[in-house]
Amino acid sequence: MIWQQLINGLMLGGIYVLIAVSFTLAIGILNFLNFSLPGLFMLGGVLTWALLGAGWHWSLAMLAALLAAAAVSLLVEQLSYKPMRNADPELPLVSSLGFLVLMENLVIVKWGSDQQSFPALIPDFNLRFGGLIIGTAQLISFLIAVGVVLWLSWFLKTTNTGRRLRAIAENRDTAEILGINLARLVPCVFVFSAVFTALGGILFALNYLQVSPFMGENIGFKGVAAMIVGGMGSIWGAIVGGLLIGLVEVLSIYFFGADVVNILVYGFLLLVLIVRPAGLLGRPISREKL
Amino acid sequence: MSATATLGNAGAMAGSAAGDYALEVRGLSKSFGGLEVIGDLSFAAPRGKATALIGPNGAGKTTVFNLVSGVYTPTAGTVLVNGRDITGVPSRRRIHAGVARSFQNIRLMQHLTVIENLLIGQHVRAQGLGALFSPFRLMPKHRWWKEAQQALDECGLGAYAQQTVGALAYGIRKRIDLVRATLASPSLLLLDEPAAGLNPTETQDLLAHLRLLASRGTSLLVVEHDMPFVGEICEHVVVLNFGRKIAEGTLDEVRQVPQVREAYLGSEEE
Amino acid sequence: MSGYQTGVLVFLAFNVIAAYSVYLPMAAGQLNLGIAGFMAIGAYTSAYLSNELGWSMLASVPAGALASCLLATVVAVPVLRTHGIYLALATFALGQIIAAVFLNLEVVGAAAGYPVSEYVSPMVVVACAAGVVLLMVFLSRTRYGLYLTAIKNDATVTDLMGVNVRGMQISAFAIGAMVAGFGGALYGHHYSFIEAQHFNVLLSVFTVLYVLLGGTQTVLGPLVGAVFFTLLPEALRASDQWRYVIFAALIILMMLLRPQGLLTASLLRSLGGRKQGVQQ
Ligand SMILES: Nc1ncnc2c1ncn2[C@@H]1O[C@H](COP(=O)(O)OP(=O)(O)OP(=O)(O)O)[C@@H](O)[C@H]1O
Ligand SMILES: [Mg+2]
Repeated sequence: MIWQQLINGLMLGGIYVLIAVSFTLAIGILNFLNFSLPGLFMLGGVLTWALLGAGWHWSLAMLAALLAAAAVSLLVEQLSYKPMRNADPELPLVSSLGFLVLMENLVIVKWGSDQQSFPALIPDFNLRFGGLIIGTAQLISFLIAVGVVLWLSWFLKTTNTGRRLRAIAENRDTAEILGINLARLVPCVFVFSAVFTALGGILFALNYLQVSPFMGENIGFKGVAAMIVGGMGSIWGAIVGGLLIGLVEVLSIYFFGADVVNILVYGFLLLVLIVRPAGLLGRPISREKL
Repeated sequence: MSATATLGNAGAMAGSAAGDYALEVRGLSKSFGGLEVIGDLSFAAPRGKATALIGPNGAGKTTVFNLVSGVYTPTAGTVLVNGRDITGVPSRRRIHAGVARSFQNIRLMQHLTVIENLLIGQHVRAQGLGALFSPFRLMPKHRWWKEAQQALDECGLGAYAQQTVGALAYGIRKRIDLVRATLASPSLLLLDEPAAGLNPTETQDLLAHLRLLASRGTSLLVVEHDMPFVGEICEHVVVLNFGRKIAEGTLDEVRQVPQVREAYLGSEEE
Repeated sequence: MSGYQTGVLVFLAFNVIAAYSVYLPMAAGQLNLGIAGFMAIGAYTSAYLSNELGWSMLASVPAGALASCLLATVVAVPVLRTHGIYLALATFALGQIIAAVFLNLEVVGAAAGYPVSEYVSPMVVVACAAGVVLLMVFLSRTRYGLYLTAIKNDATVTDLMGVNVRGMQISAFAIGAMVAGFGGALYGHHYSFIEAQHFNVLLSVFTVLYVLLGGTQTVLGPLVGAVFFTLLPEALRASDQWRYVIFAALIILMMLLRPQGLLTASLLRSLGGRKQGVQQ
């Protein structure tokens, strides 16, 4: 039933929104395509799973996973972003890819490369509206994802820190001249994007009851597609792009089967890149830097 | 509209016989997002001579160079080189029409050696797949090396041939930028502040170099803030302010124009 | 030579070929994150021609390379209109699409993989890799190679010098893809089996990583990077996973301490004395 699929698509899209927002923060404010983010997505899910397995309370497990992701992200800032932000443009990107590979393989070394099943934390209670079924886990995840992103949008618009961050996005040199303390704000961006994407990983695990070292590669990378489709650097773009990619994925499974998902999702990304590189809601390319 | 001190202008406006002017610009305008940077600009640079394009900072001089070399497309107007309309010619083809330029902020390839930079400058004269795929860099005696080396030797820069550009002093790089532009054997050479940042000796070397070029029939259009330098080589001067021409003539003539004095008010004018 | 040593040597040869397929467009400033896709095109095309149509390897391997080159040319025209980050992402998407297509293509075994009937010996693989290196060294000694570097340094100025920047970029991308296709075709014929899962993003990413590790300023940088990537973990006798852990850590450190790569133009110049150019 198509309506059910649309619902499922939006719910999955909520997770993509979180990843896309993380990417968009890094690229919009810092001009940095941070490929360590899919790794942090995976880390969020896998660490929560591991800590739950070690008997931790779910709230502590999640908190610890988020903190760990934030810590790794700060390391990325120190080692990948900061030293290279004025160097050849592909260097920070490549260095952050190094972090992705590092995280993935460390997890494989520790826990093996198999998919692990994640315990069902939220009682399997389904809400029914007419003929439509929405799982509680789905609904909670979706609300958290959208809530968090809306909060971010509000934060950037109205708070002082938010305004400073937007000033950096406008023009980093001018911002610096205006006395904005970059050394304090840039780490904020890394923490924000790490927490969002790791949260995405946790919500994914909660919903689909599985984690694997490759979930960053398989799921997290689609967040990049979501960001581009929506428009680099735009929060609303990330929301639209995330939901859209979720819909494309679920609908393509529904109509053509699970095998073609990647063809359609990445085909859609390629099409957008060729026809409208700025994305649906993005500004035209001008300040872009690799 | 422009307070013109002379002669040159009338000729340019009347439309000349092909070939009198190395460069002729008619009604040229350029706006960036509604902001007009060049407005209805017309002037001409006589062939085989040096013409100066002067004006205060932000007057639009570099923009004129970008329009003539095709980096920007004009909002309106035409550009003629040696009588040929090149307004619609893509930037890459303009060097074939005889236009070469240097850059205000030197744009040499930093990681390459001096001589490799010059080899790139030779491109117009090394056309065809044979030239593109000849492994001449394995042959130290190849004529392309020799030509480039010769051009360097001529201006006393021969010793720098094998050095990486990034490691050289500003003045040297500036001169090499000029040598690279001349290697295309252009008929019209656009020089954006060639003397800026040079010490007096280097400036003298530069003057000698430019005189050599002029003696070989290359027409020069020079943007320069250093008025004595302009006086040395440029017989014809065009003054820009806020993207519009405010005077044209010899240096002494334009100095007399009140708008020019006003534009420079206490800054550059000696 | 022991079987183990031969195995390492062949692995090195494939890594070298892959390195140069990434290097050529990168020399012109283009980051190709989808190189595994082009390897897959070469591998599957040549395997299909060998298996189903009974072509000799002498024809099917070059045909695989050509197929990859053709596809690259076709996609380069729209894709290279974008640049910088968008180009990297477009090639990334393209690699994902190609891998996903082969994963679902029944004629070539889909997810079950595809056995290849003919066999290329280790020595032939190594000789082919050496051939690729020689071709690249040759190109680097021509104006073509020089212009690629110039475009990477400053495309606007190179354009003003009269060089056809777009044409050069498309050709670098296409020749790179051809080399990738060639490597893929050899790969299939050497190991006698291919599966789409092998040609994943991480293969592309690793290749880019070790090319940058070696350095892109000189034509020998990618060779150094590939040797490093292949031999260091062997020397440490590390397991496959630790191999990647060590390598990733190394990449992060290298980018930090020596972002221009192990081998730079000035290093090469000081090693090789001043042989190039005109003697004074
Ligand atoms: N690409 C552009 N977009 C927007 N404005 C531009 C652009 N290029 C130039 N301008 C504006 O056009 C004006 C003229 O600039 P231009 O560089 O031509 O001046 P100039 O006469 O060369 O000055 P200077 O003596 O400082 O070199 C400036 O106000 C500049 O800000
Ligand atoms: Mg200027």
